[in-house]
Amino acid sequence: MKLFKLNMNKTLLIIALTWLTNFAAFAQSGDVEMATGLRSSGKIWVVVLVVLTLFIGLFIYMFTLDRKIKKLEKDK
Amino acid sequence: MNLLQQVKSLVAKDLSLEWRSKYAINSILLYVVSTVFVCYQAFKSVDIFVWNALFWIILLFASINAISRSFTQESPFRQLYYYSLASPKSIILSKIIYNTLLMVFLSAIAYLTYSIIFKNPVGDALFYFLAVLLGSVSFATVFTMISGISSKTNNNSTIMAILSFPVVIPLLIVLIKLSHNSLIGADRSGSYSDILVLLAINVITVTVSLLLFPYLWRD
Amino acid sequence: MRKNWWKLLGATFICISIIAGFIGPVPKLPILHETIRNVYFHVPMWFAMITLYAISVFYSVKYLNQGNPKFDIIAVEAVNTGILFCFLGLLTGMQWANITWGEPWPNDPKLNGSAIATLMYLAYLVLRNALEEEQKRAKISAVYNIFAFPIMIVLLYILPKLTDSLHPGSGGNSTFSDLDMDNYMRPVFYTAVAGWILIGIWICTLRYRVRLIENTRNRDVNNH
Repeated sequence: MKLFKLNMNKTLLIIALTWLTNFAAFAQSGDVEMATGLRSSGKIWVVVLVVLTLFIGLFIYMFTLDRKIKKLEKDK
Repeated sequence: MNLLQQVKSLVAKDLSLEWRSKYAINSILLYVVSTVFVCYQAFKSVDIFVWNALFWIILLFASINAISRSFTQESPFRQLYYYSLASPKSIILSKIIYNTLLMVFLSAIAYLTYSIIFKNPVGDALFYFLAVLLGSVSFATVFTMISGISSKTNNNSTIMAILSFPVVIPLLIVLIKLSHNSLIGADRSGSYSDILVLLAINVITVTVSLLLFPYLWRD
Repeated sequence: MRKNWWKLLGATFICISIIAGFIGPVPKLPILHETIRNVYFHVPMWFAMITLYAISVFYSVKYLNQGNPKFDIIAVEAVNTGILFCFLGLLTGMQWANITWGEPWPNDPKLNGSAIATLMYLAYLVLRNALEEEQKRAKISAVYNIFAFPIMIVLLYILPKLTDSLHPGSGGNSTFSDLDMDNYMRPVFYTAVAGWILIGIWICTLRYRVRLIENTRNRDVNNH
């Protein structure tokens, strides 16, 4: 189980990295070209949604951790 | 006894101890001369970048060797005796002053032997010497406190290196820049800000040491 | 939940900065293009790091004055969390630098400075490991922490201003306020900074509480 988790983390990291480099390469092409296409077609929202979901998930996870620790503190 | 008198007598004690054994001076002198000679055999002639870097590396290790012993060379019992006689502020101040004197002396000799064995390419000799002086004073102030911290641990010399390198690198960056400017004979007014930074770091380290050392020895 | 409002505030701040950071307008700049948006995500790491280190120094001073071992735990956990943010900042900075400056580690004083600052705090952790006795460890590492902090400030804020740097605001480069001409970026940036600082403090308190639980448990095991 632990091994699986580790692998999962790694794949997630790799996906994130490839996405990052893709995005950066996209932004670099052309002179002062901004991602206007992505924005006018409304598809940037997909990216924002994904990142938001990630972060909100992370924060919810941290809140559950917080509660778990609180329970342990009360046990003492 | 007030602070000034205590500091004076403690520095005199350290100096006379050193004068009697001449252990630190001789060992460091031997260290400096042999490293300079090894470097000379390895490089023969170097450009000014390497010349400058080598000099500071030699001085850095010489000063670590010289100062790392400053709180361990005397027995714990004798240190306890000093602590019962003098205030902690005067002890750290006297150590800083003694190490500064030692480092100024050592770096002057290192600079002389280095420039005799290697060809001396310095453009602005007076200013380079000022950089060396400033460097040795700042090494002394920083390393004295670090050696005080590391003397409390068991494997003293390793901890000394680990603790002192990150702290001394910012100093070295400024020192190498300053000495490089004087090496190529650049306009002196361009280096005033560097000297100011060095002096500021020295003032900060001495005041912080004075504030913190009382906590360090009381255990 | 009454005590936890600031955690929620931090989370909301970061979410706001993500939405506004991706969607909002940014100045069109030749080399940076869209990567200027990284300002909202890369730079707050450093602010969070400095805040955590400052908290650590604050509690080290408090420990030396009052001798409460809890302050020492706060100091070391703040350093641990600060190191996390430092590595995140270095990693994101390297990715950004690779695209805009052409190499992941250009010889830049801010980069080198933050790397050396990392070394300083790793040395702090090594010093703690080298000391066995708890009280002695707390006291001596507090002394080193306070001693190293002003030098780190010189390293990160004063030295880059004197030398040529690729970062804005140093060595005659244009500052952040020159880049941000329509003043749109500023509020988003400050929101992101505040959010990340709050989240950093949150992680630090989590670690601190876990450490307290571990300590009491160890003591119980030793007693029985």
